[in-house]
Amino acid sequence: MKIQKRKNKKPDNPLTDNMDISQRYQEVQKMKLGPCLEQNLETLQQISGYSQDVKIRRFNINHQIPAALVYMDNMTNDTIVEEILRALMIDTKKIEEWEKGRHLLRSAIKDLLIVNSVEETGSIGELFFKMTFGNTIILVDGQPTAFICSTVDQKTRSIIEPNAETTIRGPREGFVESLCTNITLIRRRIRVPHLWIETLEIGSLSKTLVAFAYIKGLADEKMLQELRDRLNRIDTDAILESGYIEEFIEDQPFTLFPLALRTERPDKVSSAILSGRVGVFISGTPHVLIIPAELPMFLQAPDDYYEKTPVGSFIRSLRWLAAIISVFLPGFYVSIVNFHQELLPTALLLRVTASREGVPFPVVAEILMMEILFEVLREAGIRLPAAIGPAISIVGALVLGEAAIRAGIVSPAVVIVVALTAIAGFSTPVFSMAIAFRIVRFGFTLLAAVFGLFGMQFGILLLIIHLCALRSVGIPYMAPMAPFILQDMKDNIFRAWTWNRSTRPKLIGKREPLRQKPGQRPHPGKDAQDKNSGGNKNDN
Amino acid sequence: MTTENFPKATTEKIANRQFLYMLFMMRTTVVIALLPVLTSADAFQDAWASAIVSFFGAALLVLIIGGLGIKFPELTAVEYAQKLIGKWPGKAVSLIFILAFLVIIATDTRIYAEALVTGFLTETPLAFIVFMMVIAGSAAAYSGIEVIGRAADLLFPIFVAMLTLSLAFAIPDALAMKENLQPVLSRGAGPVLRGSMVPIIIIAQYLSLTMLIPVTNQPKKALGTALWALAGSSLVLILVTLAVTTIQGPDHGSRLVFPFFSMVRTLNISVFLERIEIFALFAWGFGIFIGVSVFMYCGTRAMSQIIGLQDYRPLIGPLAVIWGTFSVHSYQDLFELRTYFQPRIVIPYNLFWILVPMGILWAAYGIRSLAGGNPNEK
Repeated sequence: MKIQKRKNKKPDNPLTDNMDISQRYQEVQKMKLGPCLEQNLETLQQISGYSQDVKIRRFNINHQIPAALVYMDNMTNDTIVEEILRALMIDTKKIEEWEKGRHLLRSAIKDLLIVNSVEETGSIGELFFKMTFGNTIILVDGQPTAFICSTVDQKTRSIIEPNAETTIRGPREGFVESLCTNITLIRRRIRVPHLWIETLEIGSLSKTLVAFAYIKGLADEKMLQELRDRLNRIDTDAILESGYIEEFIEDQPFTLFPLALRTERPDKVSSAILSGRVGVFISGTPHVLIIPAELPMFLQAPDDYYEKTPVGSFIRSLRWLAAIISVFLPGFYVSIVNFHQELLPTALLLRVTASREGVPFPVVAEILMMEILFEVLREAGIRLPAAIGPAISIVGALVLGEAAIRAGIVSPAVVIVVALTAIAGFSTPVFSMAIAFRIVRFGFTLLAAVFGLFGMQFGILLLIIHLCALRSVGIPYMAPMAPFILQDMKDNIFRAWTWNRSTRPKLIGKREPLRQKPGQRPHPGKDAQDKNSGGNKNDN
Repeated sequence: MTTENFPKATTEKIANRQFLYMLFMMRTTVVIALLPVLTSADAFQDAWASAIVSFFGAALLVLIIGGLGIKFPELTAVEYAQKLIGKWPGKAVSLIFILAFLVIIATDTRIYAEALVTGFLTETPLAFIVFMMVIAGSAAAYSGIEVIGRAADLLFPIFVAMLTLSLAFAIPDALAMKENLQPVLSRGAGPVLRGSMVPIIIIAQYLSLTMLIPVTNQPKKALGTALWALAGSSLVLILVTLAVTTIQGPDHGSRLVFPFFSMVRTLNISVFLERIEIFALFAWGFGIFIGVSVFMYCGTRAMSQIIGLQDYRPLIGPLAVIWGTFSVHSYQDLFELRTYFQPRIVIPYNLFWILVPMGILWAAYGIRSLAGGNPNEK
């Protein structure tokens, strides 16, 4: 019987199978609600292809007026939906009072809905998009408009510490896949009305919400306009991760180096926003982009600020050293063994040469082989299920490395160099930067194999030119080292005491350069003396 | 890479600090590579006095070169030459700058290549090293003067650290052999003055002022900045001369090819660190790079303004080939390169580059001022 009914309706359906997306989209935009409830419900189901997650609950308001709730399965808060049903089906004294005139019915219903927000619309396309946020739609027979009730309940995983960015000291919160939750995490940390959040929708099919947060009055307006323009220019079907956005808005696409900092830590984003940067939140991913980002930021971790200053400075300079090792060490080793043996003390040189005895490959082949092997191991380690992850490290690192040395295929010195480089590479806190360093390293190894240290010098010169030419939303990538900005060096390779870092980064926070009152160095003894003397005066 | 990724040449600006670093490194590198030997060739143990004298002589030439730039803070020499003496004569005079930059680039890269080939890469063909430096320099010039400025910011500390460490480790040896400096000024002022001629005339490098003053943030102060850079590199020259003449001895020091690096080679910091001169050479190479890329920028920019191109970048490729080839072919070997720095050759060349164009332009400026009216207006 029911099937028969549908078949009868089919000719009415304006959406035929041979229409493409844009035609369907235009058709849906044109559709309006009619007065007939059943017709409206049918249209809603037709445009979504009778998908099973579009739930329809038919009921009668005050046991008389036919109506229906439409919502997406699993996106709504069941309690609120039940509350709506209860209000409309049972507590309907008001409906009886207003029943005389139909035009009053709408306001009567609106009064009954005990939800955060109620909107009315007659456009079917808009209804559907609202529904996909988790809103519930109320269609009433005889009414050409529908009520959109906010019943959003985003089911998301809990806020836990991000695996990729752990710290010893500091908050244990991490972003989740829900945009609203992420923005809440920032709002809790910066509780002023000047924290502005602009939202836009990108992606013709995914309709992804992209929000960017900044402090009005601190972030540079020109930079914001530039960012807004770049985001608005994006015309694509879907944004599934922050990487999509990153590639669309970069200043220079032909570079290995990340020009936006991706993080899962709310404290990192808050600190960036407080310096005048912008956080770009993308719905559906826990990774938030910080823009603009300079190279030194990629070598900083939140711990640096939470630990005491000397400790923070120490670990930070250690990280710089590790980054330099991870880029240059294999190339340096190759050039020393190939060209500049005299640089090594004799005893060490003899050791290295002896360990290379009988190795069938040239040193650069050895290094490249082991480096590539290590990269494969690393990649395999990420993809493997956690349960067999340790197995690969044992097989890869211990068995392969040990066996390769025993068999005399590679020399122990090369294994040491590759292992040292790998460990140094992992101390870079941001993965996208670590991988850039890794790729650059291969270039340096090859240059070193051909021209020795001076080939590496050539590579360094090209690298410096490239890095100095990069910009992130107009901010030079190597700031504050190139261009050199003395006041920002307080928070670069080393970190000055918190009471001493009174200024924001010069290029980014120029609208409000002072972060705090300068000269807040604690003088406990002196303060106490002042108080005492003051007290004495009072006594006298 | 496309040109649109880089800012227009006319909108680029560098800080005066970066300008200072560029000028300091471009002069110091050449000075420490070759000059102690040349000064001591005439002045022997009094070479340090020649170094002091050279500061004053060079400062005078800097005033001649940069003085007009201050009068036209917005314009490069090519532009104000056309304003002062007319379009075509101005362009013709500017060609001398191009010639000067060509020879300076070729010589600087050649010095770098020779230093590597004599000391380290004895089997590598010279052309490889020359073209490596030319490619690196062209990449920098292509990225624009702002980028060169930032690279100078990055490399300057490395360069200065190298100089400071080398000189600091030389102090004990130098003190032990300080009798090499005696007798002081025994042969009168003549040899001292003669010895200072070459370091003075090498200031032709500062012809880059003519192109760089308008891109600085504060062009009015640029001349002062240039004098500070000159003072800095003169100080380095004095210290290096003292170190080389004491440690190597005035006779031996004057015969060495790269006296500074030979001196660093003799230093023995600890049992573990031997042969550290390679790092000195490394840092020195960074300085050469900054100098070469600045000259390349100036040369191409001047060329583009002479032929009336909007953007100088398309010229870099063809000119790079010319620079590289010139660098490889204009000197037979290291000894010919040293011959070029003999006073009887280097002085006429460099004086021609400095005095002819600047003389004409100053004269035109003077006549226009005397004739009344503002020479800044056409």
